[in-house]
Amino acid sequence: MNTHEHEHSTAHSPGQAVAALSASVPPSELALGFSDVSMRFPDGTEALSGVSLSLLRGEFVSIVGPSGCGKSTLLKIASGLYPHTSGEIRVDREHLGYTFQDATLLPWRKVRGNVELLMELRGYPAAERRRVALEQISLVGLDGFADHYPKRLSGGMRMRVSLARSLALNPSVFMFDEPFGALDEITRERLNDELLALYLRKGFTGLFITHSIPEAVYLSSRVVVMSRRPGRILETFEVPFGYPRGPELRYRADFAALCGEISVSLRRAIEE
Amino acid sequence: MTDTANTPAAAAPGTPPPGGPADGGATTTAPRARLSTHAPVPFAPPPGLGANLVTLLVPPIIVFALLLVGYAMARANLEPHRQFLMPAGHALWSEAFSRPEVRRELFDRALITLGLAMAGLAVSIPIGIGLAVVMFRAMVLERALFPNIVALQSIPTLAIIPLIQTALGFGTLPKILIVAKFTLFAIPITLLLGLKSTDRDVINLFRLQGAHWRTILLKACFPSAAPALFAGLRIAASLAVLSAIVSELFFLAGRGGLGQMIINSKIDFKYEQMYAALIIATLMSVCVYVAFTWLGHRLFSDWHESGGKET
Repeated sequence: MNTHEHEHSTAHSPGQAVAALSASVPPSELALGFSDVSMRFPDGTEALSGVSLSLLRGEFVSIVGPSGCGKSTLLKIASGLYPHTSGEIRVDREHLGYTFQDATLLPWRKVRGNVELLMELRGYPAAERRRVALEQISLVGLDGFADHYPKRLSGGMRMRVSLARSLALNPSVFMFDEPFGALDEITRERLNDELLALYLRKGFTGLFITHSIPEAVYLSSRVVVMSRRPGRILETFEVPFGYPRGPELRYRADFAALCGEISVSLRRAIEE
Repeated sequence: MTDTANTPAAAAPGTPPPGGPADGGATTTAPRARLSTHAPVPFAPPPGLGANLVTLLVPPIIVFALLLVGYAMARANLEPHRQFLMPAGHALWSEAFSRPEVRRELFDRALITLGLAMAGLAVSIPIGIGLAVVMFRAMVLERALFPNIVALQSIPTLAIIPLIQTALGFGTLPKILIVAKFTLFAIPITLLLGLKSTDRDVINLFRLQGAHWRTILLKACFPSAAPALFAGLRIAASLAVLSAIVSELFFLAGRGGLGQMIINSKIDFKYEQMYAALIIATLMSVCVYVAFTWLGHRLFSDWHESGGKET
């Protein structure tokens, strides 16, 4: 039952080292676990059926799947926003980062106020909030924008604020619900690089949902393909490229080959 | 002239484009373009401050002047014994606005009416906000309250004024309640809409931190509903002065506001003063509306999409 998670692993460019990061993590350290999780909405719609997935500490896993397959639902269940109907979830909700499809900034707060928001809700003292917020703002490259309203920022900058807001709490697991889907290609690739830099620097465990296969491969140590609704895991692809990664990776033949393989799997998922 | 050989379709007879395409990509199956030449068009220079003011002020002034001309013509066509219904401008000045005692009366009564309007708003705004919050909090309460708010709004206020007088007498309280009833409707309706329009994921963001619903209401829903609430407040504010005057028409005991002055000047046959009171009442109503609009703009223009300036 739980085995379909690894029923297919690509033996792709075998000469290369397996992802450096997952190799360096002791295998017993679970950061996030779904075992046989199903979800049925009250109206009878079955959103997820028997999803099993384990993330080790420090892993970065992406999920791709057809629209409406329950990818976002999976994150909402893990974070506790939705209940699930059967199966088990292991998660540390106290130290959870979460970004939505939109930046979801509060438009009446300046950048700094937005970055401080989650700390404020957690009751951090004002001085610490301010210090940490300025640190995060600088970390995402928005020095000098602390006193701007979100209305005056570009879409990419707003997303950076959104990342900074979550990073301020130092999450152990960071969930991303298609965060860059609304951005143009150039901004998106830049933010991919910035996200990787933050990932390597902060060392969180990442669970990333996207429609873009190259984005999934570029960011992750593992890519999971989900089926049409009710969502279940069809295939898992190990990504053999080590970190740190740079933009030149996107133009390598083995990168393209892996994207192609995942694309075939995804098309099967849509047509099945 | 002929197309290159690698696209046979392009070699179709008939209409090779003049000059021929540079490569073999073009086909003659596309309809022929009828080209015309366009020279660059310079932008008009931006208007200066003076020109801006002129375009801003002149149109309403022209319309207002036309209305005055219409008024004068209507007056000229009245039979002389009915001309008192439409006093002339100079009479308005000599009989009303030039006289210190009339000016003082207008000022004092305007203050009374304004006070009444504000007192009514002071009742209706908190009640309206409370109703919206309660309806927002519980769907059951929305179903229970909303139709009744609509029903309350549908009662013809003028028709129940006699009842209010019988029950509550002729003091200040019933007048305040009449203003409150007039101005209540817009507030819960607009605020509830605003509260319900709060971004779902913003609420989720708060919920992920375990925020209490009161925190969510205060830090997420209220600020995001504030511009909608202010739209409601503008409607309420413009109705407040109007309803204060209406209520005064029915309460002639004691020292009243502009509404009472209108009735009194009719009884005393001082139509110039009646017009003066009308003009002041109108100006006051506009001022209250503008004040709320300005306040809303002050509060929200920095961040809300409706706020002007550049984006």
